[in-house]
Amino acid sequence: MNKNRISIFYRITHIFTYHPWLKLISLILAVIVWLYIKEEMLLG
Amino acid sequence: MSYAGILIHWKSIVEIIVLWIVIYRTLLFFEGTRAIQVIRGIALVLVAFFIFQKLGLERLDWLFKNFFATSIIALLVIFHPEIRQALARLGQRNLFVNSMDEEEIDLMLKEIIKSVEDLAGYKIGALIAIEKNDSLSGYIESGIRIDAKLSSELIQAIFTPNNPLHDGALIVQRGRIMGAGALFPLAQRPDINRIFGTRHRAALGLSEESDAVIIVVSEERQDISLVYQGKLYNNLNYEDLFLKIKGIIKIRK
Repeated sequence: MNKNRISIFYRITHIFTYHPWLKLISLILAVIVWLYIKEEMLLG
Repeated sequence: MSYAGILIHWKSIVEIIVLWIVIYRTLLFFEGTRAIQVIRGIALVLVAFFIFQKLGLERLDWLFKNFFATSIIALLVIFHPEIRQALARLGQRNLFVNSMDEEEIDLMLKEIIKSVEDLAGYKIGALIAIEKNDSLSGYIESGIRIDAKLSSELIQAIFTPNNPLHDGALIVQRGRIMGAGALFPLAQRPDINRIFGTRHRAALGLSEESDAVIIVVSEERQDISLVYQGKLYNNLNYEDLFLKIKGIIKIRK
């Protein structure tokens, strides 16, 4: 049980500590791509 | 907010999350290869392109649109080997890794680290690859299949000079020694320090094609290096090595 708790905690911290910059850059790019596609679709 | 409004927002969020995951996984795939620098460049160009469009700079917008469309084809040709490697890794995902619990991982790492400590002390070189998510079964076929319980003594016996299996890599899958004498592709990067020999190049080569954790023992300098995703960490002490490997293999990325 204790082992599972550590594992879940580790998994949550891992989300923020594993390649945080790559995740942030990916999110910015995803928003830019989404906005670009949205505009292109509206234009034609 | 109306029901339709919530639905539109919900759909937009899902779309952005899907795009985020796809972009993140793509960047992660190319991490450790020389293509990552080009992908970073493309990302910068995309951001610049978006800003130019928002500011209404039509000439720059036109230039980027035309230049970017043609350069994509050139990039596909130049980075054909890296793209091929990344796509090959897609098909290598192993469903059974990490079926080991923390205790088993600790035990496996203690045995491996004890063996590399002794091998370094005896000035014996070694190359050990620990499988993570990407299957190393293809590489086992290039050497000799073993399937034995992992122990420090067996690892040392395999790397003892004049042993028929000592020349090549040892592969660990799910806490068991599955192969020895395996051959890995050599990294062709020009930026590798000349003090590192073929063993380190092979470790870097494998790390560019898979997410395996690779330990290299240098027979000349008696130092231990860790190679993961195209990066080489050397001059590690045994405690750092243990914690670093544990952190890498504990979690699926």
